Amino acid sequence: MPRDRLGRLRSLRGWLFTLSFAVLLSAAGNTAALAEHYVPASDDAVLGEVSAGTRYADVSARRLALARVDVAIPLAQFYIQQSRLSGDLRYLGYAEAVLAPWVQQSSPNADVLVLQATLQQSRHEFAASLAILDHALAVRPQNPQALLIRATVLRVLGRYPEAGVACDGFSRLVEPRLAALCTESLQGLRGHLESAYSSLAQVSTQGWLNSEKSWLYSELGEMAVRLGRDQDAERWFQQDLRLSSADFYVRAAYADLMLQQGRAAEVLALLAGQESFEPLLLRIAIAQKRLHDPALRQSSARLRAAFAAELQRGEAVHRREQARFLLEIEDQPHLSLAAALENWTVQHEPDDVLVLVHAANAAGNPGAAAPAADFVRAQGQSDVRVGALNSPALSASR
Amino acid sequence: MNTRRNFSLALVLLLAAPWAQAHIASNGFLTLEVNGSTVSGAIELAIRDGELAVGLDRDGNGKVTWGELKLKQEALQNYGQGHLRLASADGPCRLRFAPVEVNDRVDGSYLWLPLTAECGRTLSRLSIGYTLLAAEDPSHRGLLTLVANGTAQTAVLGGSADTRQFELNQISSWSAFAEYLRAGVWHIWSGIDHLLFLLSLLLPAVLVRRQNRWEAVPIAGPAFVNIVKVVTAFTLAHSITLSLAAFDVIRLPSRLTESVIAASIIIAALNNVFPRVTEGRWRIAFAFGLLHGFGFASVLTEMGLPKDARLISLVAFNLGVESGQLAVVLAVMPLAYLLRATHFYRRGIMPWGSSAIACLALFWFVQRALL
Repeated sequence: MPRDRLGRLRSLRGWLFTLSFAVLLSAAGNTAALAEHYVPASDDAVLGEVSAGTRYADVSARRLALARVDVAIPLAQFYIQQSRLSGDLRYLGYAEAVLAPWVQQSSPNADVLVLQATLQQSRHEFAASLAILDHALAVRPQNPQALLIRATVLRVLGRYPEAGVACDGFSRLVEPRLAALCTESLQGLRGHLESAYSSLAQVSTQGWLNSEKSWLYSELGEMAVRLGRDQDAERWFQQDLRLSSADFYVRAAYADLMLQQGRAAEVLALLAGQESFEPLLLRIAIAQKRLHDPALRQSSARLRAAFAAELQRGEAVHRREQARFLLEIEDQPHLSLAAALENWTVQHEPDDVLVLVHAANAAGNPGAAAPAADFVRAQGQSDVRVGALNSPALSASR
Repeated sequence: MNTRRNFSLALVLLLAAPWAQAHIASNGFLTLEVNGSTVSGAIELAIRDGELAVGLDRDGNGKVTWGELKLKQEALQNYGQGHLRLASADGPCRLRFAPVEVNDRVDGSYLWLPLTAECGRTLSRLSIGYTLLAAEDPSHRGLLTLVANGTAQTAVLGGSADTRQFELNQISSWSAFAEYLRAGVWHIWSGIDHLLFLLSLLLPAVLVRRQNRWEAVPIAGPAFVNIVKVVTAFTLAHSITLSLAAFDVIRLPSRLTESVIAASIIIAALNNVFPRVTEGRWRIAFAFGLLHGFGFASVLTEMGLPKDARLISLVAFNLGVESGQLAVVLAVMPLAYLLRATHFYRRGIMPWGSSAIACLALFWFVQRALL
């Protein structure tokens, strides 16, 4: 199929998806808005919780950050880290507010630019993030953070050769263990999963910082999942959670592993108390559905409202989650496939492949997963989870 | 090696495997309903956003209670005054907040701050400036639901374009149009006096006066021409005076117009019993139609014409009157035409029906003019 026609088809699909999803969600939006306001019966009724760094009292630090870049940078770093740990996008907004005056300067600080690129990456504003990183690298070429985030963004986008270049640049500037982490985890996506895994698994973590160990364990856990070494994967995830129990990203990956193994009840235990974050709530809802838990109604209403709000804001941060929600909660395989295809136009991570193949099979249109299948074949990627889905699109030889 | 060590320290805060999923960003909800010159509704903010804006957690224990929220009521209202701007084409609306309440949404409790805004005159366009949380969290957005005349529009407020215009004009003049059209039809059907006047003039349209007797017109043509002439003359005449009265060019006391309308029916009906004018009844239709126009206008004065949509409402009302009137003509006249040769029509309906109409109108006349 000629390229431009494919492009047009894709954009048509996008429109159709948005339209049908909007129809599906409009009911959710309405019920959310129809809620009745009230006066609580008791003065002691707790309405909500406030976490560190989000108090009004911190306003003085924020004000100071507007005047001093040496305050703005660590404060923005703190917020970005909080967002990473909690999975709460609001922290990115706080970081953005702190960085805003410094990003707009005519000759911005390279650290400011890297932080800005980091928060844009977390919001899936990949193109904007790459553009800012280019700017940061022009200001200071020997900038390991900029190079690493660049490698990360390009990896999510499936642009592995460019990611490799960024990794190489990064490797020249940092200690060998970090260089190996960047390079090997990328190799694991480029047809060398087995060797990359064993090379990283043998690394001694003596003298490593916790944050570095955490990075290592999460990479190893995900590689083990793709290799089908579930017990290893579980060990890596648990090791990571012992280091940083708040690591929301690894918790989600761990929950997915449990769901894969049919351990829905354990998922509810693992994620208890984390309902306020939609990606984790999605895993909770999937587990509830499998357990026929009546609490599913509330969870899915919340997810529906969250996706409706995101749709109204015109953002598509959670398209992969939307696809899973539509498939595994709403039983809407066709809409799910549309969302997964839309997601695939941007992101090319193993989980993106998985959700697309899964949705295509469920929609009775396995051929629709062809773009992902072609990509996986071209990269020589392996993932037992995808293999288990027996997609004709993947097994067809060309 | 020294720089490498430094980088590792920075890593504590930044590095990670690709992390691509997260909680949705901060949303506030702004629900507004426009009624004439007044806007009412509410701002809803998540409790944590309220904390960020004005500081709710008084005792610093990380939990916000209803008691703490109430204590910050005034601060919240001031914050609302500072960060929400509603304006009409003429200028800013006067914003007032009512006591705070709570609304439970699926993702937690929101503080609910009811508001009303007085904008001075009927709104055709509303400008909304939304800068809540803009300084604290630039990714915060206000999800707006704006209801005007039963039509809801939604929009996302905040971000770089913090002020947005919403056209209510088209919606409001359309609904005004429909409302006044309906009023026009309703008025002609319920205000039976206008119809009786018209019918009195139309009853003889299917007949012709020969040697002091009513005879059936042999063919439809002349009857049709008669009907068109009378209806057109009546329409033209009352449209003229209706417009003049609606725009306050001429104003007659309603007692006078109502009495003369009753008298006009008596005259038209008696003309069927004791024919004086047998040709060119359209002249009567026109002359008295002028007075009926003032009668229509009194209804409009009661309803009030919307200031922003005077002309369109007037046209709609008039169209309503005409279509209501036309519907009756179309229902009655074919029947009259079919029955025109019968004894019942020429000897029954013409004299006795018309007399009955005249008696009723006489009753109205006495009621309106003398009591």
